[in-house]
Amino acid sequence: MSEAFIRCEKLTKVYRKGDQEIVPIRDLDLEIARGAFVSLMGPSGSGKTTLLNLLAGIDSPTRGALHIGSNDLARLSRGALAAWRSREVGIVFQSYNLVPVLTAFENVELPLLLQPLSRAERARRAMEALDTVGLGDRASHFPSQLSGGQEQRVAIARAIVARPPLLLADEPTGDLDRESADLVLALLASLHRDRGTTIVMVTHDPEAAARADTLLHLDKGRLAARESRGAEAAR
Amino acid sequence: MMRLLPFDHAIRNLGRSPRRLALLVGGSALVSLLVLGAVAFSRGLETSLGASGLATNALVLAAGSEESVERSEIAPGVTDALATGVDGIAVLAGQPLVSPEIHAALPVSLSGEAVGSEGEAPEAPPVLVRGFEPAAFAVHPQVRLASGRWPRPGADEVAAGPEALARVGGAAAGAREGATLLIAGQPFTVVGTLHAPGTAMHGEFWMRLDRLAQLTQRTTRSCVVVALGDAEFDDVDALVATRLDLESVAMTESDYYARLAEFFAPIRALVLATAILVSCGAALGGLNAMYAAFASRVREVGTLQALGFGRTAIAVSLAIESLVACSAGALLASLIAVLFLDGAAVRFSMGSFALSVDATAIAAGLLSGIVLGVVGAIAPIIRCLSLPIPIALRA
Ligand SMILES: Nc1ncnc2c1ncn2[C@@H]1O[C@H](COP(=O)(O)OP(=O)(O)O)[C@@H](O)[C@H]1O
Ligand SMILES: [Mg+2]
Repeated sequence: MSEAFIRCEKLTKVYRKGDQEIVPIRDLDLEIARGAFVSLMGPSGSGKTTLLNLLAGIDSPTRGALHIGSNDLARLSRGALAAWRSREVGIVFQSYNLVPVLTAFENVELPLLLQPLSRAERARRAMEALDTVGLGDRASHFPSQLSGGQEQRVAIARAIVARPPLLLADEPTGDLDRESADLVLALLASLHRDRGTTIVMVTHDPEAAARADTLLHLDKGRLAARESRGAEAAR
Repeated sequence: MMRLLPFDHAIRNLGRSPRRLALLVGGSALVSLLVLGAVAFSRGLETSLGASGLATNALVLAAGSEESVERSEIAPGVTDALATGVDGIAVLAGQPLVSPEIHAALPVSLSGEAVGSEGEAPEAPPVLVRGFEPAAFAVHPQVRLASGRWPRPGADEVAAGPEALARVGGAAAGAREGATLLIAGQPFTVVGTLHAPGTAMHGEFWMRLDRLAQLTQRTTRSCVVVALGDAEFDDVDALVATRLDLESVAMTESDYYARLAEFFAPIRALVLATAILVSCGAALGGLNAMYAAFASRVREVGTLQALGFGRTAIAVSLAIESLVACSAGALLASLIAVLFLDGAAVRFSMGSFALSVDATAIAAGLLSGIVLGVVGAIAPIIRCLSLPIPIALRA
């Protein structure tokens, strides 16, 4: 239970703009246990998105170590990272990022195209994921025919369809009304509870943060505070 | 194994902006059409010149005028010298097939039109007028009479190729059988219509040799065409080489037209260069549309990469998109070319020929569309995929 799933050691990210250096993540030491539901908070510009991108392997650390499961992300090539992501990580964006020319079903099926699955098996799993987010009846709708809340639920279905052990979400309720936000949060909580998915969620919303069992506060690229609640408290 | 994005995703992406799609397809259609047209021009010229000359005919013309029948002048006696001096020449009804001809570029206009309101003749375009004797029908089997009759000796009569009539205004303007034409200022009646499609003769006026000699005030001939029959070209060549008094040279008719084709090489190159230059403009328009189409999808491309799709897979999908649009344009161009360009007459100073939209021309058009689709996509794709994923996701 206390085995660290994600391990950051002196993790540092430096961006260079001309002769100016921006260090959104600075010497960050962090461990996250398998099956944790982490809420990542902090003021705007504190490095939350940068950290999430590093965890997702879509950005590379400048210094320090980053281990997720048995993988040392700093040592993986771009292609190996992409393959790793397709198996191990689901990502949910604030602005959904669905492909507009594809139906809800096809958007959800997208990650499965990277797996060695038959068409029928892909269809079965995509429908199952859509049912999980309560949108089985919207499979043939295009993103433009869905509400924001529905789009985000489709995006969550897309993120979990390959059953990744890690789910990363960057302000997933940031663009949603309260009701839709609650639906999305309930969904994430049930994924955490029922599947044991490790979730790291960036949020500004106290109600969202309340769902998590660990609260991390970032400030200027450093860990400012860490609150843990018992697993019981999260439920 | 690399996993690609489904083909139909690329196709559906094309439908996202009908305006951009139209620009892309239109641009590539224009490029293909221009290249196709230039090749059709070249091929048409080649075919026309190739069909105009026979390898079984020897052409005898004045030494020093090898490249131009119109400038050549040989003595009338050359005809008999050839008829009697070469054994084995083809014979029809007891006559050796030796055709003395005069080729002259003369101004031709419709007679009514010639008298303008100010009373002065407008500039009439020069058209090739051929003076012939009956042997001409036998040495030029490509030519036949479509209607009417052949001009009679000494008469103010001509037979006209359809393309020649078109040059002086066409049937709509009254240029048809029965009409009176002013040739070098003198009236002639069109008594027959020639038929020799795909050859230079389709665009000529034919009158009897004696009448043309009189009209042009010359006693010389331009050339003599010999149907070789059982004779060898070398026999003719040997005769004119030894009979210095004939002041002539011989070549096969097909060689003559092949040289003419060489003479047109710079024009063909010019046409091709112009087509390529203009099509570069069209290509830029299409590329711009493609650039915009891809640029608007930077975030989507970032998302696909975040999901785990490789850059190659995404690049292939984008390239397919571009390729499909450009191929559609190229097909459209081919269709337009087959419907409207094939056989269209090209007229230049002296003659005319028909554009030939053949397999080579269509292949060139399609190929240029495909090349545009692939090469044109490279820069936008690189631009789209070179962004780091976090920045692409922010776009
Ligand atoms: N690709 C980049 N290039 C330069 N600076 C960046 C880049 N990404 C983020 N930053 C900067 O890093 C800091 C942290 O950004 P971010 O991680 O997005 O913060 P948060 O998500 O907490 O609001 C900001 O100052 C931001 O401008
Ligand atoms: Mg952020």
